[in-house]
Amino acid sequence: MKMRIAKILTLSPSIAKFTLQPVSGALPVAAPGAHVIVEIPGPTRIWKNAYSLVSSPEDRGQYEIIVRRVEHSRGGSAWLHGHASAGDVLEVSAPQNLFPINRLAKKHLLLSAGIGLTPFLAYLHTLNVPFELHHLCKPEDEAAFRSLLPNAANITLHTSRNALDLNALLAAQKLGTHLYLCGPDNFMRVALATAQTLGWPDAKIHQESFGGATGGEAFTVHLQRSGLTLEVAPEMSLLETLEAAGLAAPCLCRGGACGECELPVLSGLPDHRDHVLTPERRAANASILTCVSRALSPELVLDF
Amino acid sequence: MDLNLKPAETFRGDFSVRNSDAAILRFPFPFHEDRYMYAVNIEPHMRGGPTAAYDAIFDLDEHYIGECEDRALTLLDDPLRCQVLPHMMDAEWDTLELLMESLALDYPAQFTLTKNDASWHWVNRPLGLDQHFTFGDPASLPCPPFEYITRQVQGDFTLQDQRENNLFMDGGMVTSQADWSLNFDLGMSFHEWHGPVPVAHETGVFDRALAYLLRLQLGRPVRRLNWTLTANPRLDTSPENYPIWGPDKAGITPENVGTKMCLRVELQTLTRLPRSNAILFGIRGYLIRLEELVRVKKWGRRLHRVLRDLHPDIAAYKGTLPYRHIIVDYLSAFDDGAVTSAGTSPDQDLL
Amino acid sequence: MSKSRPIYAPFKLDLAGKAHLIVTNQPEVPELEAALANIEIWTVQTIAPGVQAPIRDNTRAFRAVPELFTHLAHRLSRAATGLRLYAIGTESFIWDAHNIAMAAGLSATEIHLTQSGPLVRRVICTHCKTTIEDVPQNIVTCPGCGAALFVRDHFSRRLAGFMGVKVDAETPGQIPAAEVFVS
Repeated sequence: MKMRIAKILTLSPSIAKFTLQPVSGALPVAAPGAHVIVEIPGPTRIWKNAYSLVSSPEDRGQYEIIVRRVEHSRGGSAWLHGHASAGDVLEVSAPQNLFPINRLAKKHLLLSAGIGLTPFLAYLHTLNVPFELHHLCKPEDEAAFRSLLPNAANITLHTSRNALDLNALLAAQKLGTHLYLCGPDNFMRVALATAQTLGWPDAKIHQESFGGATGGEAFTVHLQRSGLTLEVAPEMSLLETLEAAGLAAPCLCRGGACGECELPVLSGLPDHRDHVLTPERRAANASILTCVSRALSPELVLDF
Repeated sequence: MDLNLKPAETFRGDFSVRNSDAAILRFPFPFHEDRYMYAVNIEPHMRGGPTAAYDAIFDLDEHYIGECEDRALTLLDDPLRCQVLPHMMDAEWDTLELLMESLALDYPAQFTLTKNDASWHWVNRPLGLDQHFTFGDPASLPCPPFEYITRQVQGDFTLQDQRENNLFMDGGMVTSQADWSLNFDLGMSFHEWHGPVPVAHETGVFDRALAYLLRLQLGRPVRRLNWTLTANPRLDTSPENYPIWGPDKAGITPENVGTKMCLRVELQTLTRLPRSNAILFGIRGYLIRLEELVRVKKWGRRLHRVLRDLHPDIAAYKGTLPYRHIIVDYLSAFDDGAVTSAGTSPDQDLL
Repeated sequence: MSKSRPIYAPFKLDLAGKAHLIVTNQPEVPELEAALANIEIWTVQTIAPGVQAPIRDNTRAFRAVPELFTHLAHRLSRAATGLRLYAIGTESFIWDAHNIAMAAGLSATEIHLTQSGPLVRRVICTHCKTTIEDVPQNIVTCPGCGAALFVRDHFSRRLAGFMGVKVDAETPGQIPAAEVFVS
């Protein structure tokens, strides 16, 4: 659906909140944790980036997203920060939810770092069981994040001044608590390892990774059924290369988490960067998740 | 969309329900070829299809009032036919919103929905209901939201909570089911509630179906068809009342099979719900007596061939084995051996 | 055999857990590879009222299953994440323990069930909702409505029992020979 940028609020040199309003009609309601895919028109290519909705799910008149300008990004966020202005019209997908609240939890423990706070901002609108939010951020971002969070006893911002004792926090949680993690890969790895060491079961740990594709070596992909041979450039993902060639490649989350984009591999060695394939399936190399994975061999042949 | 509502007929006791010519021609006949095998058969649920039964988001027909009354009778007798677990309240409101908006859109002569922020006004003219309520406040409705709205729609509905990479049937309004118990199955996971189906679990068809449904997208509902044969056009063929309907089958004879034996088709829809992220499973059932169905020449020929050549295992599961020869003999009189077209359309506009 | 029928694994400590509680209604107590400080075992023994029930090291005995379950709910309401619960015993005992644990906030992966003891089933009559305990074979007369019930292999974790449906609805009076449960 077409959406117009109604407002851009700069929260810090690298973080901005965009308010999007529909060009016509009311917006679909979205569950907390939902994201939209925004098509960002660059000078030489279109980027498709996923952003969590931070606005209230009941607001049918606008969506709000928060964009961090990524230092070494492939360009989408940089364009939004540097070139977008109020009045611009963007193509935005319907919301999809790959990070929903668990409905049986007696308490939600939300842990985020950096831009990972965004899905939790939507949660805050609707949570009606006990919860606790701990957000880690750099000192230069503290003011920006504080402006986004209500003042409450169960919401804590952590910087180097008041570090979070993750071990103590996780060890003290009662049985019905569910843990939600969102942030950069490093943070997720440490938090996950700490929880697992303390005996947290996977069923109670929920993660949204904002990793996405980060580029790599160029490689060639042969598409058996389409009869096409394409070059995947270092800064393009395999999925984006297929889409740029006009092919209707399947996808959903664009972050290697859902499996929708999986295509059969006929030959070549995939470089698996997703969160879906089991170790056995990775070793078998019969599939690839095109939105994040690349190739170890110079060429891949796909059944597509 | 036009709705020519009949006054209430019965789906029990004297079974007064009859399909008009229009109802026969719009029936969602399930067989696209002259043989039947299990298949995945899921497709996008978009308006339009082989008959008018596919035109609305949630289809209503001439039997609307009678089916709503039959549901009310079943619930009076057994309130456990409608249950929703406490953590599914968001899904209840999602369902109420979806069904009210769909009915008001597709049948504006019968239903009106007016919204003023959270103050909603719902009018259901066929059932004589005029309800003001606050969206999100269960106390402002005479009964919980899921029960409130599903009492006013044809077909059964279940609510699936998505968690732990699985789907759990955590709610439902089930008064016209083909022999399964909501009270018993409530809370079961996807593989558990499919437990009794003797399709090869081993082929992984349920694993694939689950993986597919876990990725069902908002705004992209899907549908599929299921079929059985039922003695008498009875809606309540529940395990709870098996002592009542079980004996129906024994009463089938060559003289009455055309009137009593019915093809029962479920048009199943699967819709992702916005706030709860749950999946609403709609099971819209249609009943047609064999003597009504054979008035569509193509369907009479095809049904004869499908049932005559049906794999014995499938026949056993569909519950048709003891009476199959009576049914096939009856239908053979309507099969002149002519070629039938591919697809399920009736191929005639008049009977 | 219906896919709803649970399949049980032999008892084994889940070493991802940080504390372990074993409850059983059978006389045998599982062998543990090592005496770990964070394991407790709860059993049921015949102890007269007024006599102190023994609490020894990490073992505790209760007079009856309802008493054990009362203490279980209380214990779990105060427990920290990291606990694993193990229930060993007859099928309805272990699923009743499972459901107490779920209500307290444990997820299915933190609960380990092992079936042991008599192969008897709890049956729920679909027609009158009566629950019948300790049924040893697949045909049983319902004490509530008098129907002869066939015990299907369809199992509900929520109700912790099997589905009973009238066996002679289509053939009144013709009741097949019952078969003893072997699993």
